Amino acid sequence: MRFLSVLFATLAFLSCQKGIDDYNSSPEANLEALWEIIDQHYCFLDYKAAEIGLDWNAVRTAYLRKLSPGMSRTQLFEVLCDMLSELRDGHVNLYSSADVGRNWSWKEDYPDNLNTEVRDKYLGNDYKIAAGVKYRILDDNIGYILNESFINGFGEGNLDDVFHYMRLCNGLIIDVRCNGGGYLTYAERLSSRFTNEQILVGYNSHKTGPGHHDFSQPEAEYLRPSEGIRWQKKAIVLTNRGCFSATNTFVRNMKECPLVTILGDRTGGGGGMPFTSEIPIGWSVRFSACPSYDARMQQIEFGIEPDVTCSLNPKDVEEGHDTLIDTARQMLAK
Amino acid sequence: MSKRLDTEKKRLHIGRIYLLLFVLCGLSVPSCLFAQRDAAHALMFGVGRSNQLDTYLSPMEYKGPQFTFLRETLRMTHWANERLSFQSLTQGAFSLTENPAQNANEYGGHIGYNAGWHYNWMPNRKFRLMMGGMLGADAGFLYNERNGNNPAQARLKADLALSLAGIYKFRMWRQTMAARYQADLPLLGCMFSPQFGQSYWEISQGNRDHNACFTSPGNALSFRQLLTFDISLGRRYTLRTGYFSDIRQSHVNGIKVHDISRSFLVGFVRHFSLIQDKERKEELIL
Repeated sequence: MRFLSVLFATLAFLSCQKGIDDYNSSPEANLEALWEIIDQHYCFLDYKAAEIGLDWNAVRTAYLRKLSPGMSRTQLFEVLCDMLSELRDGHVNLYSSADVGRNWSWKEDYPDNLNTEVRDKYLGNDYKIAAGVKYRILDDNIGYILNESFINGFGEGNLDDVFHYMRLCNGLIIDVRCNGGGYLTYAERLSSRFTNEQILVGYNSHKTGPGHHDFSQPEAEYLRPSEGIRWQKKAIVLTNRGCFSATNTFVRNMKECPLVTILGDRTGGGGGMPFTSEIPIGWSVRFSACPSYDARMQQIEFGIEPDVTCSLNPKDVEEGHDTLIDTARQMLAK
Repeated sequence: MSKRLDTEKKRLHIGRIYLLLFVLCGLSVPSCLFAQRDAAHALMFGVGRSNQLDTYLSPMEYKGPQFTFLRETLRMTHWANERLSFQSLTQGAFSLTENPAQNANEYGGHIGYNAGWHYNWMPNRKFRLMMGGMLGADAGFLYNERNGNNPAQARLKADLALSLAGIYKFRMWRQTMAARYQADLPLLGCMFSPQFGQSYWEISQGNRDHNACFTSPGNALSFRQLLTFDISLGRRYTLRTGYFSDIRQSHVNGIKVHDISRSFLVGFVRHFSLIQDKERKEELIL
């Protein structure tokens, strides 16, 4: 009995799972905390070491040298953002109350292949809007769907109405250029209209520990056919480097669908589902946590190649033509 | 003839009412298996502080106020020569905490039920020592308002705890008073946890990766303490004040979690006894 009393009394003072419990604006403490979050939770360290020669341990040493005791918060934010930029990942951001640290080289280093003024001429003024989808039938009886974001969603009913309206068209163009992503649910909802049977579209995985190699067995991801109206004719998806995150996944799914062609430029990538964490100074950090792969178990972090490469021709733009839309119309007319 | 029929109908009707009451009693008080010699029902509300850590959401410890309620029933049973008591403890809490930089909040809540059986030693009429076990289940959540794809954690656990309590009754200022200390230490159980970097989106798609985890003091050292002080307010009611410390910890699937809360409680205890005499009143469990 005495033993039990002593045991309970001892346990009363125990608390073994410790976190960071104090505000700390020290540059070193914050850099170390940020470095450790990425070191333990970021899912592409091995892949980027192989692809772009990233050495995350060397990054820590290099950026610790850039710190000085009296540096301002703005200077510290810049150093930490530069450190994160080494990852070359659009899903990696540092958020302070004053700024959002980012590396958008995935789209900024490449041509847009999109002129919105020219594109809007195709759309005209009498296009229809079904929640997050704009659409119309072009003069040559080709349906045109513009989806600029998967944040502003759409329901199954919206898609039923869109596809019913387009039912007599000879082909369909889905323009997702500069769609920076959003919810995977909407990406899956739209792509499920282009298959009549369940198809393998990729694999998902997640980290099982803090080590760089600690990953779960990849789990197959299947696209199930929609129970609503499904498209049974040829369709072309227009892509550019601005297709990122959920849109990248949409393109991955569409690439596996029969009768669908991907036309344009390589997508921007963003193959990891981002998680959020924070550092002692109170800044929030977003990073890729769960990698996804295509149906051949290839990484899609740095984008997906189109089936047909096509760039915007400046001469066409001068004449008010969108090279990608015109090429797609010609392909669908054949 | 008609009058006789009416009387029979009346008897039948009364019989049905008795049967209904019997069934209802059985449904609402499953512990009817135990003799209800005397029982104490307590309802307490508390305010305190909570310290939350969940490395799935953030490596920072979030701190802030917590609101708690406890509903407790304690009654003696016929078992073990009338030395075995039954305790049921329903506990709920809601916390609103913020990070050390005070620019982000977490909202947490949980509700749980524990059923415990204690063997009672009474070396004298004033002191009662109780030792036994408690079976408990608990469900809850922790939501971080600024996280994206990992905004919240679901909590689900069940455990078997070692429980130790002591009750000391005394008189002061012509009032009957009682002080009680109870400590519960979960020894084994199971809990839900996502894998280290597994998203709830994956779980919703049917992905399973060691999400049901065995727990013991080695990976989930938790500890619950309740210290109460009762002042009798007459034959049936007692005012209760208390201090409640609830330390919940786990380290499974590489995710560190702690929820440390300490609350001050206030509430009432209501005593029930089937045998209402002075002698039994003196022997009330609390």
